[in-house]
Amino acid sequence: MKGKGKSGHSSGHIGGSGGEVLKDCPLQFPDLTPLDHTKYCPQYSTVLAKSDDATVGYGELDSLQPELETLLSSVAKRMRQLENEIQILVNWQEKGKDKKGGKFQQPPMPSPAGKRGKGGKGGGIPTSEERPSKKFKESSGKGSLVSTPGRPPKGKNIQAKMQEYEFVDSPLELPKLPRNDAPDRFWQSLEPYCCDITQEDLKVLEQILQSHEDDAEYYKVPTLGKHYSQKWAQEDLIEEQKEGVKITEPKRRGLSNLSNSTTPNTPEVHALLKKAESVELSEESSPFGPLTQRLVQALMEENIMTPIDDSSMSDIAGTDSEAIANMSPRALAKQLNIGNTAQLERRIKRELEEQGILEADERPEDNPDDEILSELRRKQQELKAIGQHNLVVTKRLYKLAKEEMSKQDLRKKLAAVDAEIMEAYRKVQSTRIKKKTPTKKEKDAMWRAIKEREQILKILNT
Amino acid sequence: MRHKSGLVSGGGSNSGSSSGPSPTKNKPGSSSSGSSGPPVLFPGIANTSASNVAAEAKIKDMLKELYHLIHQVQDERTRGEHNLSNIGKTHERILQEQKISPYYKSKLKGLYNTAMQDAESEAELLRKALDKINEVKSFRNERRDGPPKQVRRRGVLMSMLQQNALTLPLWIGKPGEKPPPLCGATPAESTYIAKPRDKVAARVKGQDGEENWILSEVVSFNSSTNKFEVDDIDAEEGKERHVLSRRRIVPLPVWKANPETDPEALFPAGTLVLALYPQTTCFYRALIHDPPKRPHDDYSLLFEDNSYPDGYSPPLNVAQRYVILCKDDKKK
Repeated sequence: MKGKGKSGHSSGHIGGSGGEVLKDCPLQFPDLTPLDHTKYCPQYSTVLAKSDDATVGYGELDSLQPELETLLSSVAKRMRQLENEIQILVNWQEKGKDKKGGKFQQPPMPSPAGKRGKGGKGGGIPTSEERPSKKFKESSGKGSLVSTPGRPPKGKNIQAKMQEYEFVDSPLELPKLPRNDAPDRFWQSLEPYCCDITQEDLKVLEQILQSHEDDAEYYKVPTLGKHYSQKWAQEDLIEEQKEGVKITEPKRRGLSNLSNSTTPNTPEVHALLKKAESVELSEESSPFGPLTQRLVQALMEENIMTPIDDSSMSDIAGTDSEAIANMSPRALAKQLNIGNTAQLERRIKRELEEQGILEADERPEDNPDDEILSELRRKQQELKAIGQHNLVVTKRLYKLAKEEMSKQDLRKKLAAVDAEIMEAYRKVQSTRIKKKTPTKKEKDAMWRAIKEREQILKILNT
Repeated sequence: MRHKSGLVSGGGSNSGSSSGPSPTKNKPGSSSSGSSGPPVLFPGIANTSASNVAAEAKIKDMLKELYHLIHQVQDERTRGEHNLSNIGKTHERILQEQKISPYYKSKLKGLYNTAMQDAESEAELLRKALDKINEVKSFRNERRDGPPKQVRRRGVLMSMLQQNALTLPLWIGKPGEKPPPLCGATPAESTYIAKPRDKVAARVKGQDGEENWILSEVVSFNSSTNKFEVDDIDAEEGKERHVLSRRRIVPLPVWKANPETDPEALFPAGTLVLALYPQTTCFYRALIHDPPKRPHDDYSLLFEDNSYPDGYSPPLNVAQRYVILCKDDKKK
């Protein structure tokens, strides 16, 4: 009959090296020439050639069956090849004009002329068994209904549509979608909370613990410096002098014989300040410390009592004491040859301590009037509380981290044992498929792994 | 010549055990026509009863249908041929021009899709035809059950076994389908129990105490004892009946695997198998030398044989039907 296929057409090109040049083309151009049944299916051909009785002999069935199977097999093969090619074509087209990337597979070499001939030739079994998705099948069916060969524009439209609606799962489509990285960011932000504790983390905790040892510095109370009013006065004076120099400078330059006076004269400032101080002090009530004052007061009272007792005493003495009383404290201090009031205070204190009047180890009492000091003390108290709390928490954290780390190690071991067990399981499975039994040694190893796992779990759970 | 028909029919019973010889949509798992349909090798026995006449008429009808189906197949093939040659020409042109234009791309796509449809309808018709053949065979067989057991000549047995192997149906799945159990090298499911009249390899103890894997046929299965009753295929006077536990029974494949579409369902070269030694009914250990290349090819096997210097026989051909996986038992 007509079956003698047009096998001549296509066989020539398949083995040709022309494909090499089409490097960008992923298509395989399989040989799809149908099987020549006159050659390979004699019984089938005989049945076809029958025209008289229009039936099949019962005895022909057994030989007919393999032949039909051969035909079906060749059809099945052709379907797989076609499917492969269509899939390639679709994937390729989605790439658009960009022809790169497609792995070109060399067209299969024609098999040596066997008895299966054309049908068995070419294609072979596709190396990558691309199983078609259902979706694809539908689409290909649809496509073939509408698109006819020889009318490319229409076909293209349909393909474009198909791409749009049916092949969303193609990897090539993906870049077009804006990538939603929110989940990634979320998990990234979670990572630090979930990841394993490392030696580094422990080190950080240790450092924190150590840093608490240096806290003592924050509890020191620095000694009082110069009073700000004095400091400022000095600064103001220096400032003023500078200004003055600036004003007088041109004149001095004119005179041109005083060269070293461009810099502010600090001794001068000090002298001035001293003068001001003396003036100030002469008017101030007392430059003495509390102890001195108390002591003096204690003595003075006696002094006051004396004139009452003998008021009629000599006027000379009265004038004398009056003169002393009228003396400014500054003058008195000078007279008493006390250089520095602070020094005096200290001396008095030392003296009183030696006499056993004051207790030696008594903490120097804070000046209740010193707001800064009290504030400092308050803040130090707060700092101490916080530091203490931090220390406790850090210590706890450190302990927990250490525990967790040992657990981590256990978990790692557990994972390893799990893997071992899985491996053993697979081994057993495979031996079971082979209908063999695992050797004693293997069995022992498996049991050991299982026992080890149980052990670890026990420790972990306690 | 007619005697031994029980064994003869038994020869085909494996195919019957799973819904018949045609690899249709029925997956063997959902085996439908439970009744076995062993192919009949000796047709045309004169039956006198009226029912037989009716049956003969029915068979005739079916054969006629088959005839038409075959013609339809050929029509479909002729119809699709034009398109296929078009594809060939297009390929040729593309290869000549060394480039593939969008025009060719869409043209190829159209051609491929058409070819695909043609192939689908062709495959459908072929499956129908194969179904029909199966139908005829099983119908014929049903009416000949309970044949007397008789000894038949060795040569007859051998040719029967060969014929049985030849007509073992070829499994051709649709694209994406996986080979079912008992297709080629694919093992049976672990729960699978061979049905009566199935062909199995059975490990039996001979009189000399030596264990052998023999070709036999299942008679029954006792689920309470988990034991099979099997008949030696080469039974003398039908007295070789064995009762064996399940693990001594290996069902033979009920489908041939197709090397063109499902090469993974074949034993790869180098696999240790049990195979029926040519002209015997015993299975022996062998290595796969070369798996089949085409649907109806046989395996090329190297049997373990100490009479050869390298321990193996020269390559011998054994049909897919009689090659099963060798579980490395402790026989040695």
